[in-house]
Order: sequence, then C-alpha cells, then structure tokens
Amino acid sequence: MNPTGAGLGLAVAVGLLTAVAAMVVRQSMRAAAVGVGTAVCGAAGVAAGVCALSGTTFSLDLPQLLPLSGVVVTVDALGGLFLAVTGGVAVAAGIYGIGYARHSARLVQAVFPLFVVAMLLVVCAASAGTLLMCWELMALSSLLLVVADHRSRPEVAAAGRWYAVMTHLGLMAILAGLLVLAAHASGDSFAALRAAGPHLPPAVATVVFLATVAGFGSKAGIVPLHAWLPRAHPEAPSHVSALMSAAMVNLGVYGIVRVGFDLLGGGPRWWWAVVLGLGAVSAVYGILQAAMSTDLKRLLGYSTTENMGLVLVGVGAAGMFAADGNRVLAGLALAAALLHVVNHAAFKTVLFLSAGSVLHGTGTRDLDDLGGLRQSMPATTAAFGLGALAASALPPGTAFVSEWLLLQALIHGLPASGVLTAIAMPLAVAAVALTAGLAVATFVKAFGVGFLARPRSVRAENAAESPASMVIGMGVAGLGCVGLALLPTLVLPALGRVAGVAGPAQADAVTIRLVGVAGSLSPLLLAIALVAAIVLVLAVPRAVAARRAARLWDCGAGPLSARMEYTATSFAEPLQRVFDDVLAPETDVDVTHTRESSYLVEAVEYRRRVPDRIERRLYQPVLALVAAWGSAGRRLATGSVHRYLGYGFYTVCGLLILLVVTR
Amino acid sequence: MLRLWHKIRRTGRVAEPAPARPAPHDRAFPGSVQVRHVDAGSCNGCEVEISSAFGPVHDAERYGARLVASPRHADVLLVTGPVTRNMAEPLRRTYDAVPGPKLVVAVGDCARDCGVFAGAYGVAGAVRDVIPVDVEIAGCPPRPEAITEALRKLTGR
Repeated sequence: MNPTGAGLGLAVAVGLLTAVAAMVVRQSMRAAAVGVGTAVCGAAGVAAGVCALSGTTFSLDLPQLLPLSGVVVTVDALGGLFLAVTGGVAVAAGIYGIGYARHSARLVQAVFPLFVVAMLLVVCAASAGTLLMCWELMALSSLLLVVADHRSRPEVAAAGRWYAVMTHLGLMAILAGLLVLAAHASGDSFAALRAAGPHLPPAVATVVFLATVAGFGSKAGIVPLHAWLPRAHPEAPSHVSALMSAAMVNLGVYGIVRVGFDLLGGGPRWWWAVVLGLGAVSAVYGILQAAMSTDLKRLLGYSTTENMGLVLVGVGAAGMFAADGNRVLAGLALAAALLHVVNHAAFKTVLFLSAGSVLHGTGTRDLDDLGGLRQSMPATTAAFGLGALAASALPPGTAFVSEWLLLQALIHGLPASGVLTAIAMPLAVAAVALTAGLAVATFVKAFGVGFLARPRSVRAENAAESPASMVIGMGVAGLGCVGLALLPTLVLPALGRVAGVAGPAQADAVTIRLVGVAGSLSPLLLAIALVAAIVLVLAVPRAVAARRAARLWDCGAGPLSARMEYTATSFAEPLQRVFDDVLAPETDVDVTHTRESSYLVEAVEYRRRVPDRIERRLYQPVLALVAAWGSAGRRLATGSVHRYLGYGFYTVCGLLILLVVTR
Repeated sequence: MLRLWHKIRRTGRVAEPAPARPAPHDRAFPGSVQVRHVDAGSCNGCEVEISSAFGPVHDAERYGARLVASPRHADVLLVTGPVTRNMAEPLRRTYDAVPGPKLVVAVGDCARDCGVFAGAYGVAGAVRDVIPVDVEIAGCPPRPEAITEALRKLTGR
C-alpha cells in the first residue's frame, strides 16, 4: 500500500472511529473528541490528496463489499485535488466544531465525521455503483446535519425537506445517466465506462451527459436547481454549512469534469456551451441575490451559487476549447476553474465559520441588526474581513488570481474558431466581469454593515468573542486563504497536471502560457506593493504635517445614532433599482390615518421583499401541479377496504387478460 | 430633450460681462475656493441673493467659487443671519470641522451686527461673536454683485 492509500485508509478509519467514539464518549468530552477526530481525518485526506496530486495513484478492488457491483476505489490526480480540498475544509471545520458544537446532540456529533468520510470516498469511487453509494451516504449524512436544530426552529424542517427532495432528484438524474452509460459498457467500473464512453451513439451520449449535468449541477447549486442552497446553508449549523458550501458543492463540479471529460472523453461543442451558459447565468443571478440578501448566511449561500457558476464557466470554456482542438487554452481554462474551486473552498470556509461565530456571539444573522462587532469580536472581524477580501476578486485576495486566469483564458479564446465560440466567449467575459463587480459590492455590504460602524441592536452591542477553538478553526482557514492569495504558483503546476490528466489538455499548458502569452502577474509582489502603499499613506502625512483631532462631523446637530447608519437593505437599494427588471422586488406601503382626520398620518409601514424569481416561476407551478395530482389521487383512495380489494382483483384480471391476448 | 436644446439655442448667453477684478484678500486662496453656506438664523433673503450670485446671470463659479455640501470639503464658510441660540453651537462645530487654512464670510447686515433682530431674546449675537470673521458683506439683503465681488476677492480672479 503506497502513501496515498495509507492516507485514505487512515482518514476512513479515523472518521469511522470518531463516529463510534461520539456515540460512547460522555457529553463533556464529546465535542473535543469529534473535533479532533474530524481534523485528523481531514489531515489524512489532505495528505492522501497531495500524494495523489504528486503522481502516486492508488487503486483498490473489493468485489465482496457490495453485492452485485462490488467496491472499486481509485485515487488519481483529479480525485486527489478534491480529496485535498475536502480534507482541508474538514480540518478547519473540525477544530472549529470543538467550541461551536459543544451542545449538539449525540447523533449530530456522530454523523459529522461520517459526512466527511462520505465526501472523501465520493472522489475516490471508481465505479458507478461505488460512486452512487458514497453519494447517497453523503446526501443522507448531510441531510441529518442540516436538520440538526429542527426542534428549536420550524424553518429548519422546511429547509430540510427542500434539501432532501432536491438532492434525491439529483441522485436520480445521476443514477439514470450512469446506468445508461453502464448499459453500453462491459461493466460499471470507470475503466470500462472510459473505454465505452467515446464510442457511444451521439444521442445516448447526450442523454448521459445532460442527465449527469443536471444531477451534479443540482449539487453544485447551479441555477435553476439552486433552490435548496439558500435554504439549507443558513439553517444548518455553521461548521456544517462550511463543509457543505466549501467542500460538498465542489463534488458537483468533480462529477461534471469526471463524466464529461474523463468518462465521455469530451464531446461536441454545444454540450460545453450549455455548461458555460448555465455557469454564467448562475454566477450573475447568484451574486445579484447575494447582494440583495440581508441574512448573512443566506448571502454566503447565494455567493456559493455564484462561485460555482464561475467554475462552470471555466469548465464549459475548457470543453469548448477542447472540442475545437485548442488544448493549450483548454488546459488554462480548466486549471483556472480548478484553482477557483480551491480558492472558493478556502475563503468560503473562513466566511461561513466567521458567520457562525457572529451567530454564536450575537444570536442573530440579520445584517440589519448587526454592526459594531469590530470592538467586541476582533478575531472574527479580522477573519471575515480576510474572507470578504478574498471573495471580492480584488488583488491581494485569492479569488482575484483564479478569476484573472479565467478571464485570460476567455479573452484568448476570442480569436478561436467557430461561431458559437466567437459569440459565447465575449458574453462569458462580460458575465465574469459583472459578477466580479457585484461581488465587491456584496462583500463591502456584508463586512461594512455587519462588522463596522455602530451596533444596531442590543444583541450586537452585547456580542462576545467566540472560544479559542473557534478562533483557531477560523485562523487555519484564514492561513489557507493568505497562502493561496500570495503563492498560487505553488498550487498551479499541480492543477495544470490535473487538467492534463483529467481533460484533453496539454499537461504543462498553464505554467508555459501564463508567462509567455497572457502576461505574467505576481500576487506576492502586488501584495507587497499594496502594503508599502498603505504604509506610505499612513506615514507620510504624519511626518509632513501636524495632526489635529477633530470632532466627528455630525452636521453640527448632536450625537449620531445607530438608526442613521446604512443598513444592508439601504446599501443594496441602488443596485436593486438598477436590476429592477431582473429581481422584480415586491414593495408594500401601508398608511394608517388618525381617527380624527384622513389628512393626518398615524403610521406608515413599508415592507420590501426580493423573492427568488426563478424559484417562483419554475418551482411554484410544479409544486402546485403535484399538489393537484395528490388531491385528485385522493379520490381513488377513500379508505374503504372493499375498494382496495376491488383494485387488486381488477388489476389481476386485467393482467391475465393481457397475458392471454399477448400470447 | 429637443425642447431643451431649442431653449438653450433661443436663450443664448445670459451671464453678465465680468466687472473689473477687485483687489484680492491678503489671505486669498488663489484660483479656487470651496464654499460651505451656513444659515445661522437668516430670514432667507440673503439665501435668495446667494443663489442668484451662483445663478446663470452672475455665475460666481466662473471665478472659481464653488458651493459644496460639507464643511469637510470647504475652505470658506458663508454665514448668513444673526446667530440664533439654537445655531450657535452647530456654527461653532461647523467652523471646527473645516480644515485649515479657512476663512469666514459674514453675508448681510444681520450677520454683521444682528440687523433688525439685535437684542431679540432668541439671538446669541452677530457671527463675529461666535467665530472669527474675515470678510463682511453689507446690505439687507446684499446684492448678488456684492456677494460675487467678495468671493472674487477670495479667489483672486
């Protein structure tokens, strides 16, 4: 057994042991045991992933473990990347959970490491059966974690229902796609599927691709299958949200890359144009909804949709370039997409963990009630600020590097051949640029309104910093963010190799082209220049001129109150007005007049809601139809036993008649 | 839109020709001054004349004077009216909020010596009783030409 296999085995063993330990250890020790176990499991996953990335693949065949199909496990470079990302998130979330999940129920504590193990196994699965089993294990364990607090808050149960239905519909789609593929192959192992994939009839291949894209896309939170994401992520405990948003949604991207590039071997250009289109729509729509959200965790949930959209723009562009035979650009686009997966995992972990810390310290996640946390929660504020900087695609942040690479790939794709490419690439560039701009506005809002200025409520005023383990958890993820932001060159060559192994790309495309054609950029130098500029700006005036302390300008009138501050709603209002036609916000003004005269106003009530329009247009009719079917079906089932016996009798008669007629 | 263009074409230029340049103030801001207007209790007569001075006919902006929306952006305070008791403290704070070097212009007779409101129970005093004044403009209300001339002394144009 090589180091990759040893790491994976250790991760699975520690994860399972931790789950058992959570059931038997007494309550005071439980959170610590689960946290440490999960962190060790994650660290082993990272080690296995890094070994796989550096070329040590691992394969294991256990035909007896699962009836009919057996279990086949392979860790290759692509799987290794996602293994390392998932493990890294698990380390931070595990340490954080020691303080955060101290009062969670025993079952929830036990399921947490199982969820991590399931995610680690999904990317190692090397047969359709194994993949589906691990996928379902992951879905069920995450569902249990989402509904952890269902007793105390009724909206958790509703979120859980949405999540359960959506994730199982996704599983159905993946199952259908992989079964159709396996039916045309000699077995269900990926090796057999890989051999059969490129020779499928085009119609069958298209069915397989579209079904798996729908299934994996729903897990990645791609519009219009994103409805579960802004519901489940806010309601789940925050360290679970971090795992779901930073690690689990990535597996949707993994699935699309695995099936599309690896098993089906590319495919026609329009497949990838569909992926690119879905990605672009998700990116813009997700960040627009995030910009409108006033719930901190809902905002982060929509931002996940946005970032997965950006990743799929890269994946789609890579597919289109590959279909055109342009392997260099395909490698660049795919490496940019994978780098964004890594970056997103890092900053979304920080953001969700610090949002959880805010929830822990104040008891609310409504931005309109927060503010002024800078003094009372300095570590959390620093962590969220770091995450917000990383998420808003500005130079010393992580997302900047990957989005810059993505834009380079798309812009260099402009002169590529084909009408479809020539139309799609400029539109994709515009979508990525618009998304980056809106992301800045969104995270300025989240950080500025949530953490700076003055507290807007008593709860925010009485906030207290979180325990040390939570701060350390945020710090681990924050270190990852800083490292990726300053030294992406450490990760990029490995990603280039992954793009070369997984896709039809030139293996060393990234390292060559970035320096040669696209123009080079050193994030480290940029950061140093920025720090130098800040120091200059702060130091020079101090040296040159005398300073005078002046009263804060309050229009001369008197003390400023928290009610004069920008709220999250008012900050987003201009944006909402610009995108009025897309968002279709609902406003409601109720004016109450005094009893004496209709000219005198007693109270004015103003309500504004930005509903998810896609959800309303797409899901409500389907839900109404299902409800109508259900009530129509109720007429058949009246509760009368005679009637049910009659149904059975007539069905048997009908079958017999059918048999007689067809013989 | 088209009507607006027609109106612009029909009206033509209405600005008065510039009078001779007055002698600049010895602490002038050569070229441009940013002006913050403070109403310390005026009857709004002076405000009408100030807006006329910045209107198309006298057009004080062509001499480099510009009205701004915050004392933080200003070089010069343009104070009108006798300083009422309610406005004395805000006026002092506004003066503190202006970054130095700064000048204060008292506009109108009320700002210079409380005018007809002298001795009224709600009046704290003239502007110079509250903050140091550098330039005074006489008149009740002063003509826009006088306001423009005082501002030109400050811009030196």
